[in-house]
Amino acid sequence: MNVEIDPALAEKKLRTLVEEFGVNIPEAEKTVTENLAKEHKLSAVPSQSSDLREIGTLLPGEWATIEGKVVGLSRPRSESISQSGIIADGSGAIQFVAWARSNLPPLAEGRSYRFESVVVDEYRGVPKISFHSGTTITEIEKDILYLPEATKIAEIKPGIASVRVKMVQEWEARHERILQTGIVGDETGTVKFTIWKEEGAERLEPETVYNIFYATVDEYQGRLSLTLNGAKCFPDEEGEITVGTGAMTTTGVIVSVGTGSGLVKRCPVEGCNRVLSKRNYCPVHEVQNDFRYDLRIKAVLDDGVKAHNILMQKEVVEAVAGLTLEDAVKIVQESPLGMDDIFYHLRDALMGRYYACRGGDLGDTLLVKECVPIGFDRDRHAALLNRLGGEINAN
Amino acid sequence: MPIETPRYEREPARRVFAAELREATYHFKDGEDEKSPTYVLLPTGERCNRVLFIGSMTHKEKKGEQNVFYQVRVADPTGTFFLNASQYQQEAMTQISKIEPPAFVAVVGKPSVYEAPDGRVFVSVRAESVTVVDKEMRNCWVLDAGEQTLKRIEAYGQTTDSQRAKERYNADMTVYKKMAYEALTQITL
Repeated sequence: MNVEIDPALAEKKLRTLVEEFGVNIPEAEKTVTENLAKEHKLSAVPSQSSDLREIGTLLPGEWATIEGKVVGLSRPRSESISQSGIIADGSGAIQFVAWARSNLPPLAEGRSYRFESVVVDEYRGVPKISFHSGTTITEIEKDILYLPEATKIAEIKPGIASVRVKMVQEWEARHERILQTGIVGDETGTVKFTIWKEEGAERLEPETVYNIFYATVDEYQGRLSLTLNGAKCFPDEEGEITVGTGAMTTTGVIVSVGTGSGLVKRCPVEGCNRVLSKRNYCPVHEVQNDFRYDLRIKAVLDDGVKAHNILMQKEVVEAVAGLTLEDAVKIVQESPLGMDDIFYHLRDALMGRYYACRGGDLGDTLLVKECVPIGFDRDRHAALLNRLGGEINAN
Repeated sequence: MPIETPRYEREPARRVFAAELREATYHFKDGEDEKSPTYVLLPTGERCNRVLFIGSMTHKEKKGEQNVFYQVRVADPTGTFFLNASQYQQEAMTQISKIEPPAFVAVVGKPSVYEAPDGRVFVSVRAESVTVVDKEMRNCWVLDAGEQTLKRIEAYGQTTDSQRAKERYNADMTVYKKMAYEALTQITL
């Protein structure tokens, strides 16, 4: 937000404070700035002081002076940017962008600098700093050296993070600019990662533990992901991590069994596995008559407060519905309803019943590893009766 | 702050006893949009766009000539839910057609408020799904509904919706506590 102020008026107020009331200059500056901010209904007062600030304490909207080390450079995505990368000090790390029109000398990785008058802003919730024509950059001798502490996956926030993780899953890249994408995780959970194609970018090896410094954490639609371009990834060949599934258990009633549940046909092309249409058409590989059958359930487990999307794969479906894939295929071949027969069978078996589902969070869906039917709990019943009875008698 | 992207969130199915739903005659729309969800306001102070109940189907009746629809009654320990399914609820109609009362059924549906020509206002439920279940699931639901009703009573006066309910109905929470208690005493194993 930009606000026009009258410099003459500001000066007059400053003079009054300093000359008439003997207020020291920093205090006078602070008072006038705060009053102006209040007058213009600005919630935060951007600090403009030239005091050295710690990177970990910077807030969007501030102007600041920092000293830090360039710990990573990444190729700018636009011609209007001359350089981008990551600057770190003992308190944290932040992304930086140098605009081409600011004509600043290029920074060298591994060197430390003093940055005077940088602007802190944010993009999609990720804080970053920009250099502009008024920014002064001077290389400093003192080497700001330290090793950032690893953050647990369950605790990462948008911005820059260093993590110690194992690469647990590699996905097929859906975009030609992606070098590699998949899942990394530690004991506390897992997160998606992406490496974009650029000079010097290297792939991660599956099942290998890495110490990753200065990964960029992005947030999109409430889901976090790591971008490893500009980050430093060091394999730890001796290291071992038991990756946590971030398992959660949700209890509720199945209130909807979605279309696409039941027996499905999958594309046999290696690595595809997409569900085929009723006429065996794969959106990528066209008609595939040599499909394989699979069982799955897409449903909603409702606890009365929130409706959770859940997905059950073959083993879980077989266990909870008491129907094997083989039997399902047999039923379909004999039934006049065909594939729909299995959908209705599963719906009638699961709908309106209480279950406890344990599994991993896929963002907006719970991938169920175990689904246990819940019966009547006498203890809960007795406890609730006692509580209500007691309260009613007390009234 | 991260950019808020509106995402579709399915409305949860509230657990509410028949005797409370019967009184939930105040309804409102959240937002100006044609597709904005509509809610009935429960007297214990929560908005409700969808319900889940498990009870005994005591009566079903097929009505209409060209536009066939079902009227169904489902009883819980506190009273009766009035359920209907028209051709717009094809799946629910098919399910109802196969059920012979009396039977324990689990119902998912949307409550709505009707005004009769004589001015009486009553609440009925448009069925989304009606499934036959057993007595144990019925007992589970009575317990669940009891717990969730008590939770609403405990938050009464502390949420925006419950303050709204207080203005609209000014219901006596001890009555609803007693209703939940009596429902729980009727569970036989």
